[in-house]
Amino acid sequence: MGHKILCIEDNPDNMTLLKRVLESRGYSLVEARNGLEALAKAEYEEIDLVLLDINLPDIDGYEVARRLRANPKPNLAAVPIIAITANALKGDAEKALNAGCNLYMSKPINLQELWTRVETFMSATK
Amino acid sequence: MSAHTLSFQNRLTRESIALSFLSNLECSGCGTKYSHKQIHTFCPLCQSPLVARYNLDAARQKVDRDQIIRRPKGMWRWHEFLPVLSVENQVSLGEGDTALLRLNRIGNSLGLSNLYVKEESSNPTGSFKARGLAAAISKAKELGIKKVIIPTAGNAGGAMAAYAARAGLRAHIFMPKDTPFANIEESRIAGAEVVLVDGLISEAAGLAGDKARNEGWFDLSTFKEPYRMEGKKIMGYELAEAFNWELPDVIVYPTGGGTGLIGMWKAFDELEALGWLKNTKRPRMVAVQAEGCAPVVKAFQEKAAFCDFWLGAHTIASGLRVPKSFADHLILHDLYESKGIAVAVSDEAILEAQREMATQEGIFAAPEGAATLTAIKELIKIDWIQPEERIVLFNTGSGLKYLNYHQP
Repeated sequence: MGHKILCIEDNPDNMTLLKRVLESRGYSLVEARNGLEALAKAEYEEIDLVLLDINLPDIDGYEVARRLRANPKPNLAAVPIIAITANALKGDAEKALNAGCNLYMSKPINLQELWTRVETFMSATK
Repeated sequence: MSAHTLSFQNRLTRESIALSFLSNLECSGCGTKYSHKQIHTFCPLCQSPLVARYNLDAARQKVDRDQIIRRPKGMWRWHEFLPVLSVENQVSLGEGDTALLRLNRIGNSLGLSNLYVKEESSNPTGSFKARGLAAAISKAKELGIKKVIIPTAGNAGGAMAAYAARAGLRAHIFMPKDTPFANIEESRIAGAEVVLVDGLISEAAGLAGDKARNEGWFDLSTFKEPYRMEGKKIMGYELAEAFNWELPDVIVYPTGGGTGLIGMWKAFDELEALGWLKNTKRPRMVAVQAEGCAPVVKAFQEKAAFCDFWLGAHTIASGLRVPKSFADHLILHDLYESKGIAVAVSDEAILEAQREMATQEGIFAAPEGAATLTAIKELIKIDWIQPEERIVLFNTGSGLKYLNYHQP
């Protein structure tokens, strides 16, 4: 398959879980622990999809999504973004979609659903 | 020990059967098996709901269907297929065995000769939530859990508070601030700590999950523990018995989290495995949602396996304000398997149906229950149901909980 997913997640346990399920499906994961690290990696990695935790230690996930959408590289500006939050607050879903995310999911995420959603985005970009 | 418990134990000894045939828990996603003797939430491997499994082969040999019919009424007469292993841990307020009422006047006006309602408002705390929380609190007690937490759109909070009080457990509840006043007060008077949240049940669930992780509360959120569904599934056993072991043709169910719908489908699987049904004909399941929050209807129409999170959810039927169920894929699976359908109805039509049920049949239904009457009217329009079919609506709770919608 060879598709590359940028996974932005500050919780090591969650990162391990995502890594296990996605790598077992043949995807390769680019890991980032905060928003700025993710934006830097997105510049030089060929990313096919972004998994974006909203609650990050530096800039929040909304800002990461906005900056990706404003990137001058067309591929990066159009990359599918799946927003993920742990502590959903009122309006979080709307904020994520307004910031440019394609899909909003709240934790705990059913990993079969995540895989299905990722597959759908990947097949659309093939 | 109460006289009831003593007589129950004597009867068990006489009958020489296991209290429960619970064998294990199983992940509904990846199939991994877990011990029922340990505390579990959802599957740690794939984060899907866990489901209780029973040794139905043994039960088929040892349990007499007709003996159960003769037992004292109530949910626990089906104890072989409930998860509690010891009588002392059954926490009961008299739940289950609600009336199945024929709706003659409404049925006649709609041209339906076999229209029924399962009247769940006669459960303790006035709603079907009593069934699931009776099972979950009982099992929590059995597993040594001391404090329980729940996010709720309303009735589940009141039920959890009552059963937790009965079991001597501490209870904490997160509910939207616009939850019906009756739900807030019934929770508080039972001693639960109630926090009102500026948001929906999804936001309440996030806060409950945080508190559970950080402070060691056990989270009884829908499908984030395996046992609420077990209490709810007994609605399916009761229907089978009421229809003389032939299932009805159509079940119309208001669907928020979907525990009852999934639970009844599981009950039908179990009844079939037990060999207790006269035939293999299954009901078509109808999920009813409000137009202001219809993630299952949208996913069903798109033939999707999962629901999208519903933005801006709003409806007077607070139990239907669930932007995305944790078990959405199971709801959809059962709808597809049953050749069922999902229907969205307006709040205006719900209020009209509520009045019709009260004036025509004397039933003051919850808005969620009234929504099922609205739904069958839509299904008649598209010829999805036939005049002679046996159709069961579910009134999941009492309209008395929602008096704020009827103030002048």
